[in-house]
Amino acid sequence: MTKLHPKIPSGPLESKWDRHRFSEKLVSPNNKRKLTVIVVGTGLAGASAASTLGQLGYQVECFCFQDSPRRAHSIAAQGGINAAKNYQDDGDSVGRLFYDTIKGGDFRSREANVYRLAQVSTQIIDQCVALGIPFAREYGGQLANRSFGGVQVSRTFYCRGQTGQQLLLGAYSALCWQIEQGQVTMHPRTEMLDLIVADGQARGIVVRDLVTGRLSVHTAHVVVLATGGYSNVYYLSTNASGCNVTATYRAWKQGAVFANPCFTQIHPTAIPPGDASQAKLTLMSESLRNDGRLWVPVTAADRRSPGDIPDAERDYFLERRYPRFGNLAPRDIASRAVKAVCDEGRGVGPSGYGVYLDFTGVIEQQGFDVVRERYGNLFEMYHRITGEDAYHSPMRIYPAPHYTMGGLWVDYNLMSSIPGLFVIGEANFADHGANRLGASSLMQGLADGYFILPYTIGHYVATATLPPVAEDHAESRAALHRVTSRITRLLSAKGRRTAASFHREVGRLLWNHCGMSRHEAGLKTALTSIPTLREEFWKDVMVPGSGDAFNQELEYAGRVADYLEFAELLCHDALHRQESCGAHFREEYQTDDGEPKRDDARFAHVAAWEYRNGAAPILHKEPLTFEFVQPTMRSYQ
Amino acid sequence: MNFTVRIWRQKGPNERGGLVTYEAHDVNPGMSFLEMLDGVNQRLLGNGEEPVAFEQDCREGICGSCSLVIDGIPHGPDRGITTCQLYMRRFPDGATITIEPWRAKAFPIIKDLVVDRSALDRVMQAGGYISVNTGGAVDGNVLLIGKDQAETAMDAASCIGCGACVAACKNASATLFVAAKVSHLAVLPQGKPERTRRVSAMLEAMDREGFGSCGNQYECEAVCPKSISVRFIANLNREYLRAGIVESGIPSEPESPHAETT
Amino acid sequence: MTRLVSHLQSSVGRKVVMALTGLGLVTYVILHMVGNLQVFEGPHALNSYAAFLRDMPILLWTARIGLLCIVALHIVFAIQLSLQNHRARPIGYAIHRYRQASFASRTMAMSGMVLLLFIVFHLLHLTAGVIGSPNSDRIDAEGYRDVYGKMIHAFQNPLVVALYLVGQLGLGLHLSHAVSSSIQTLGLEHAALDRLFKAAGPAVGLLVVLGNIAIILAVFLGIVHV
Repeated sequence: MTKLHPKIPSGPLESKWDRHRFSEKLVSPNNKRKLTVIVVGTGLAGASAASTLGQLGYQVECFCFQDSPRRAHSIAAQGGINAAKNYQDDGDSVGRLFYDTIKGGDFRSREANVYRLAQVSTQIIDQCVALGIPFAREYGGQLANRSFGGVQVSRTFYCRGQTGQQLLLGAYSALCWQIEQGQVTMHPRTEMLDLIVADGQARGIVVRDLVTGRLSVHTAHVVVLATGGYSNVYYLSTNASGCNVTATYRAWKQGAVFANPCFTQIHPTAIPPGDASQAKLTLMSESLRNDGRLWVPVTAADRRSPGDIPDAERDYFLERRYPRFGNLAPRDIASRAVKAVCDEGRGVGPSGYGVYLDFTGVIEQQGFDVVRERYGNLFEMYHRITGEDAYHSPMRIYPAPHYTMGGLWVDYNLMSSIPGLFVIGEANFADHGANRLGASSLMQGLADGYFILPYTIGHYVATATLPPVAEDHAESRAALHRVTSRITRLLSAKGRRTAASFHREVGRLLWNHCGMSRHEAGLKTALTSIPTLREEFWKDVMVPGSGDAFNQELEYAGRVADYLEFAELLCHDALHRQESCGAHFREEYQTDDGEPKRDDARFAHVAAWEYRNGAAPILHKEPLTFEFVQPTMRSYQ
Repeated sequence: MNFTVRIWRQKGPNERGGLVTYEAHDVNPGMSFLEMLDGVNQRLLGNGEEPVAFEQDCREGICGSCSLVIDGIPHGPDRGITTCQLYMRRFPDGATITIEPWRAKAFPIIKDLVVDRSALDRVMQAGGYISVNTGGAVDGNVLLIGKDQAETAMDAASCIGCGACVAACKNASATLFVAAKVSHLAVLPQGKPERTRRVSAMLEAMDREGFGSCGNQYECEAVCPKSISVRFIANLNREYLRAGIVESGIPSEPESPHAETT
Repeated sequence: MTRLVSHLQSSVGRKVVMALTGLGLVTYVILHMVGNLQVFEGPHALNSYAAFLRDMPILLWTARIGLLCIVALHIVFAIQLSLQNHRARPIGYAIHRYRQASFASRTMAMSGMVLLLFIVFHLLHLTAGVIGSPNSDRIDAEGYRDVYGKMIHAFQNPLVVALYLVGQLGLGLHLSHAVSSSIQTLGLEHAALDRLFKAAGPAVGLLVVLGNIAIILAVFLGIVHV
């Protein structure tokens, strides 16, 4: 049975990372040339890691399923990236960023990891500037900052509403440089379908060329997964439609433990879902909450148009419940509050799943032009999608699955429970605890890829014994066989239902029973329904075409098959965690006024799940000890 | 709403393709263009036919995957958006809509409406970067960059690499794409040291990939989902002329950083 | 220097050559028009101007050969570029719609061809006198060659006038895209001057065409006569 060693260095928090780096073994430049690293995924974490490893002299094999590494979903992040630069002199510091992040995560993350994240945050900005990223500037030429939900300082760096795009293009340009230098070999339109573990070490992957359908084995000394999150298990989410759990899930089945899968963040401000044909929820930037006010009618089923409802009959529910933070309450809290008022029947819009986000006040106070300058592009986007003019009647918003804090378990070195398998970015579980603050995911992805992994990988290859693994090694052949038989099985089902219909169904099941709030009975229902659905899938799924050609339905069906297994793991974890913390809200564990009740005595641990063939997964607990901060009740009231 | 869609179907890169007509029934005006196509595909699947292959990913206009020429215009009739942001209320009920892939020698068709745009990646690899190692960068505020300058760089940098400029251009030229990247980095002080090499290398790569030349018709600007200005093309030309003059000066042999060890 | 030459053979380099040669030709066309406008001042002005040019044979022939080379370069590069552009899209669209390309920009090859044919005709007609001008070498009262008389004679013929008007249409169309396009190709842009640069092409085109047509029509309608 797997044993988890977080490998957190001892000593004072501030110097853990520095001392750890000093104690790490190095690899000589000549030896690096002989070492191959596989990096799967080219988002912020993957691209930054691949380019940095290439610069260091490793031979990097880099894979992505998109047609170009530049299209990874990091590109869609809008708001910004946090860093403890304290350029505004408003009291920010590494310590404060650390504290905000760990508190925002509801004390379910490791102190040492989060502190290191805050430490390297400042280097990230410098590196990005050096790469030519056009951050917003003040007139004097200095970097500009803005504030973001859940914190009281301005520490967010941004490039208009396209920060993720710019940071990704920066990492992508560094990757291009390394490809040109011959250090990185890029394999676009190539999907990882299995992990090869030989003699207990991760030594390669099996991939499918999405154009020709050819399966092939790639072996290496180290495998890095930077394959993002799994919000798409809910079917409707703000993620790109290609985002999937397959890479991490297949690694899980090969023995990597999966930590805190039930920590899934639901973003409060997305455009409400329309009809069944809808394939995607569009996020409206969180910055809208800086000026917009959320409200619903006081009485249920009030069908008047918003302009006809007088102020006295409106419930500005966030301001009422959280007077100190008001409309800027953190994401999990805002989302839950929205759900609560909709569940009371006070939701607005045709479906009743929506609340108003009203700009009338700020338009009256500061004028039409100010609002247009600040949010013009968002209002335009809203108009395009809904056909409604948000300058004259309030927007309608509803929460949407957005980010997953859970992921493959990693130690302080970002190595999973399989030696030689490193996991970075959203794909790992490490830094955000039970809830992520705005503008922190970009920070974490780049911290892992640029500044942490390149150090820790060196120590691993310097100390591990890595015998050669041929492409026709028994384990490689076994992995290839697993992939082949799975594809054959998908193609030979020849049923009547499309993969999308199963995806929609498992998504709805999860959203209803393991979405914004969960309870025991619901989770148990889900746990009995999912296997039935899965069985039906394998009997009745319809995948046209063949495996040895470009076949988008086959790609999709393979991903849906994994969601149908993974959904169960998610529910197991949610059922086990008998407390409410961060994004995980168990209805049984709340205070009288509906606030979440955390249980540090029983659940101050990372829940890491190990795969068992044909049986319920085994739970490992990594206790979380807090030496430097005192877990407090997370109150934004 | 109901529509008749004529879609380019082509089984593989070397197969012959042609326009095939399908019906899209019960389309809701609030559906996006891609959701309409999803519907067509679900029906095709129901009939046991192969669905239409088309590219899409983020469906919020930033990843640059979607690439459809709709009634002769890349990304469709509206300006400043990608295909995924186009909604069916934009079309009159009962309309016939023709959908074709991006067409260029540099973008060979993979299947149906999916083309291979890796030529743009290779142009980027030729020089679309600043060669700076990770670590050791100076503080971000050491380089003061005026707001206007930063905004201009951002205007250019907002390119999503979708290739609509190529698809719209009579000459299938990628000049606007190259211009955006070259200008983004040439405007900023960080990009200055390599500007001469960058512009030459990227333009050479563009020619090598088989793109055409710019005819200054500005169709690219009109279909660009990020409305990138053709003024950056003038800037690219200027950079290129400058490079021609600077490079023809005294040639210098770069010294290998590891010269003494070899 | 070799770098510069190789630079000029890339697609942008070729366009720069097109722009520079084109602007040279535009300058010539303007001077040509201004010179010919002297027809409105009577036979003396025009004939003495022509004689003045002929008095410097070395300069005249250098200019003529120079112009020929420029035209040749312009045409060779145009052909090379269009071949490259043609190859860049082997399969066209079933439906293609323009959004903002001007009519002139879409017909550059056509207008260029019309212009070339016209120039050949014009040279054979008025310069070499091979076509339709039996009295090309008449001497006027002051002992100059009578260019004025030749022009009056030439533009009496409606067929010739029609051909010249078609040629002017080609010239106008070509210039209205060419001048602005050259400015862009040479990398001149400025927020404040953007509109000016955009208007430069049509303005120059219109100016030259109006000037030239004025001469042709003035003769044809008998406003200017012997």
